[in-house]
Amino acid sequence: MAKENMYQMCNRHRGKAVMIRTKDGKEHRGIIQHVDNRQVYLQPMNGGRNLGGFGYGYGGYGYRGRGFGLGIALGAIATLAIVPFFFW
Amino acid sequence: MEKTYLDCLAAFGIGGAHPGGLQLTKKLLANERFDENMVVLDAGCGTGQTAAYLANEFDCQVLAVDLNPLMVEKATERLVNLQKDICIEVADVQSLSYEEGSIDVILSESVISFTNPTISIPEMTRVLKNNGKLFAIEMVLEQPLSADGRKEITEFYGMDQIWSVNEWMRAFLAAGLTIQSIEVPELETDNDDIETATDFSLSESIDETFHDILSRHVVLTENYKDQLGVRIFKCTK
Repeated sequence: MAKENMYQMCNRHRGKAVMIRTKDGKEHRGIIQHVDNRQVYLQPMNGGRNLGGFGYGYGGYGYRGRGFGLGIALGAIATLAIVPFFFW
Repeated sequence: MEKTYLDCLAAFGIGGAHPGGLQLTKKLLANERFDENMVVLDAGCGTGQTAAYLANEFDCQVLAVDLNPLMVEKATERLVNLQKDICIEVADVQSLSYEEGSIDVILSESVISFTNPTISIPEMTRVLKNNGKLFAIEMVLEQPLSADGRKEITEFYGMDQIWSVNEWMRAFLAAGLTIQSIEVPELETDNDDIETATDFSLSESIDETFHDILSRHVVLTENYKDQLGVRIFKCTK
């Protein structure tokens, strides 16, 4: 996918919990906080596994974000998907 | 002060923090027509997602209250941009400042469950007009829980009770309401729909405790998925 399109896509998903798979096969889960023309910044979270339409997390959080959180280069993104969550 | 599940929802700024989210709210209101003479109260409005939807979709006057000041702050941010007739304030649904018989419709989206329903239901009933409606999306006990399980859930969520459908019915009837319908909602989420995906209005820095609370919530809900269910109660005064 072209870099501009990924920028727009990330921007549209701002404030949503997403799973981003990078081209090296790694998965990153978090809430999109900020996007610039190079990177998307996630507030990391390890919750939200797609299970019957609900998001469920297992085993806590792998890493914690500070400031704009984890930056992922737009060019490195293979796929982006919304992570569903359930709240009372 | 110890941080609670509701504080966690506020810190993450979770929009539509109730079963089914905004998608279910839309479905619930699909056949409703609220005109400019009607007053609709979003009781426990959270970040104001439903209040914003009401104001955009209908010409009615929208009232929104939440007990959590951070939620009201985030809701206000969302709602000022709409430039609609919305009145939002910090208030307890167990003790509302509205006059008796002044509201046409009240929405409680997983809110009464977090209060003392024997106080909040009569209070909501008090402010409803005659023939006014209460729509409540609430947690119900589907199967008996062990004492330990009940304690774990109520302590974690800061609830006083987990009620069966019958217990809910008794409380609505005791407050003088008529129950029109009780539905089991469809809670499938559409993963591709950005608009209805859970919306997070994050605070600038989120305490580590809130990550732990979110994580624990997810595990608890999974562990007790057979015992805990959801109903939509539609009542009239």
